[in-house]
Amino acid sequence: MTTKFYLICTFLYGICSVAKAQDIFTTADSLFMSGKFLSARVAYERVLFTNDEPAARFAAALGKARCLKQESLYASAVTFLNTQIQTDYADSLLYQLRHEQILCAYLAGQFENTLSLIERLPYLHPDVSETPLLMAVQVLALNELQRWNEAAIAYRALAIHVHADTTHLNPYQQLPHLKSEKKAQLLSTFIPGAGQLYAGKPGEAALSIVVQSAGLYFGITSFLQSYYLSAWGIGAGLFGSFHMGGVRRAQILVKQLNQKRASTFNVQTRKQVLELVK
Amino acid sequence: MTNFHYWLLLVTIEFLTIPALCQTTSFSQEWKFAHYLSDKEATDEATFVLQAFDKQSLTDSQRDSVAYLTGWLAYREKLLSEASDHLLAVSPSSPFYLKSRYFGAYCLAFQRQYDSTNAIMQHLPVPDSTLLELRAFEQGGLALLQRQYERYDTLRQHFSYSSYALSAEEKRMDAYRLGLQSRKHRSPVLAGLLSAAIPGLGKVYAGKSKQGIAAFLPVLTMGLLAWEGYRKDGPASLRFLGFGSLFTVFYVGNIWGSTLAVKVRRDEFNRGYDNKILFDMHIPLRNLLSR
Repeated sequence: MTTKFYLICTFLYGICSVAKAQDIFTTADSLFMSGKFLSARVAYERVLFTNDEPAARFAAALGKARCLKQESLYASAVTFLNTQIQTDYADSLLYQLRHEQILCAYLAGQFENTLSLIERLPYLHPDVSETPLLMAVQVLALNELQRWNEAAIAYRALAIHVHADTTHLNPYQQLPHLKSEKKAQLLSTFIPGAGQLYAGKPGEAALSIVVQSAGLYFGITSFLQSYYLSAWGIGAGLFGSFHMGGVRRAQILVKQLNQKRASTFNVQTRKQVLELVK
Repeated sequence: MTNFHYWLLLVTIEFLTIPALCQTTSFSQEWKFAHYLSDKEATDEATFVLQAFDKQSLTDSQRDSVAYLTGWLAYREKLLSEASDHLLAVSPSSPFYLKSRYFGAYCLAFQRQYDSTNAIMQHLPVPDSTLLELRAFEQGGLALLQRQYERYDTLRQHFSYSSYALSAEEKRMDAYRLGLQSRKHRSPVLAGLLSAAIPGLGKVYAGKSKQGIAAFLPVLTMGLLAWEGYRKDGPASLRFLGFGSLFTVFYVGNIWGSTLAVKVRRDEFNRGYDNKILFDMHIPLRNLLSR
């Protein structure tokens, strides 16, 4: 009789606890659905605070991470998931949290961290095979870091994994041609405007040539008319200033050009990579 | 099943279900939750929980607890004005009074409200000898911020230089005192006169040697160009008038700049020391009270 009594008490306690946790979850989920992400975060944290059940804690952790993602607080999501990965979840749950963390790290622009987290997965979860989504994220992170040769290998692995034909659609067959900043500086040092021309800015090249020539012309004519101080103070001063400015400008222009080319290439590649994992 | 068992069962049911159904959570639970969030550095969430309290329905001690945690979160987010407002609102009966008072006073000092800080620091609670020394240290720091050296000398008599949490900062505070007092007074008028005699010399005198050299070169160049125009083309020539005007602008500007340089250098010096003093006032607070 006494055993029955204790069993009833335990059952009732269990029912109430589950009902309470379910209630908080329902509230949190409805807040999330209605776009009240901060309130939803608090509700999910309440589950983490009150509940010891791994399944409930895992769902709450994932819920909070989703809220942070919706609010574009990707870096905060990475940090938060890091604290959750420390706790004693089952291996399958930990894998899901790590998976989510990798996505958040990529969205936060932490490309080195993304790659590091992806590389750790086979050691931490040797039984789980690579997913196409994570393979795609790896390709995209490598692209952003301009490690295109490694990205090409990862892209081929992804294409094979999803049984896609890469012979016609391989974007890495033609990598963006990046120009040398040093070369631009050298060209502008010895030939005024040449660095700007190399960077694909003929207008700026012409302007650089005109202003430097004007300084030089003024210096020479002043010197020939025996205005030595004017030749030095204005002619040489103007020429020197515009020359040094031209060299620096050429470097900046090449840098901007390279960024633009890399960005264009990455945008095109991203589309193709996402097509593969659709 | 005996009557006792039935009774116990009913009590258990009541105990478990009523709170769940009514969805009421006590202040203590909510406050613990907010504290847990604060410890996790989930500041937005903790602030949200604290803001949800109905302030009217709280007791005085509950209001104190909320004010303390709200102030602490604001302090951690470096919202010092908000932090001092909340921390200094905590009443003496609260267990958080001591910590709130010290940190609230520090937040005020950081906002350069020295008179208010001084008034609060004079009445900071000192339950033991360590905190007595801490109070003297904080007041000493404030005296240095106000450049009241005699007051600092009086307060530093309470420094033991042996407390683990204070000794290094006490020694550094003494060094700041010496550094502040050894600063040489620079006159803006003298800086201007020096730059009038030799362009750029006033800035060197103010302690900005590189700026002095940088100011000397354009003034010299303009002067030479004006002289060349005068010598070759005469005083009525466009070359002389143009370069002469430019020279005058650069020359006068340099004199004006030299007088300002003295003030700029003095402000930089003071700001540098103020930051060091405030930083060192902060370390013992964190070590002794940040629990």
